[in-house]
Amino acid sequence: MLQGKQAKVLLFIVCVILGTMLSTQFRSAEQARNTIAQERAENLVEKLKAAEKENRIMEEKVKKLEDKSGNETLAKEIQNLKSKAGELPMEGPGIKVTVDDSKVVHKPGENPNLYIIHDDDLLRLINELRAAGAEAICINKERLLDVSEIRCAGPTVSVNNNRFSPPYVIVAIGKPETLESALKLRGGVIETLKFWGISVEVEKSDKLTVPAFKGTRHYEFAKPQIKAEEGETK
Amino acid sequence: MIIILIIGVVLGIVLGLYVPIIPQAYVKLLSVALMASLDTVFGGIRAVKEGCYDSQVFISGFFVNGIFAAFLCYCGIRLGIDLYYVAVLAFGLRIFDNIAIIRRLYLKK
Repeated sequence: MLQGKQAKVLLFIVCVILGTMLSTQFRSAEQARNTIAQERAENLVEKLKAAEKENRIMEEKVKKLEDKSGNETLAKEIQNLKSKAGELPMEGPGIKVTVDDSKVVHKPGENPNLYIIHDDDLLRLINELRAAGAEAICINKERLLDVSEIRCAGPTVSVNNNRFSPPYVIVAIGKPETLESALKLRGGVIETLKFWGISVEVEKSDKLTVPAFKGTRHYEFAKPQIKAEEGETK
Repeated sequence: MIIILIIGVVLGIVLGLYVPIIPQAYVKLLSVALMASLDTVFGGIRAVKEGCYDSQVFISGFFVNGIFAAFLCYCGIRLGIDLYYVAVLAFGLRIFDNIAIIRRLYLKK
């Protein structure tokens, strides 16, 4: 049997080792929990990057094949259809509308919702622009097509499933004067929004660009009707 | 004596904060070693209560049990046998047993 003092020292060492093991284990377990979440995020980022790369390669392939086909009228037709489908960036004269939340300090007791931009404000602006003959419209570089939604998504607005927060920049290509006056009508959209202090800046320009639609679209349910069947629509 | 031991544990915990974190693959080994050591500690307390404590047995048991448990677990990982669970289960059961006996010895006094 070990003598008293020696045994005490050894016991002390044992306790120190036990404590060290405890806290090391605790920290390792803590770290393990964190790394799992991190690894997942890293994995997803990597996957996203790979998908983007593949996308680019495919796009190049499509372009090459289109060029190879050589048929000029066909190429022109494709170009035409693509521009109609919104798959080509467009440029031309138009207006640029910048909308931002109200800077007015609202009175206590008043609904703060009245002072911020909502999806329906944007929708009304877009509607007005379309009515005035805008040919290509985008919000914050996101092309608006027939499938594009403008929807409230919490504090942001979702366009083409991408979220944006104010300020919103709407670019519309069309006849600048018509577009501008459509928005600035007495009792029109801008006047209503200005009432709540929401700033709307309209800028006419001779050359604006609207980017191409970046998303994809495919028809799951809708099929083109090949034979026009009479009487069916009645 | 008990104060010295508590100081030892606290010192160890503080020291452990500065020890580099163990790689993920060895966390299981450390946990098994920790379980074995804890088991020895509770066994030691029980022995003290029963009056048959021997510090040589205790200290050698502390190190040998810990290292051997970790080694067995390592072999298990290499062989594809989950000895880790078995070790944790066995040590856990023994720790609970010891705690129960310690409690009874206290109550008997």
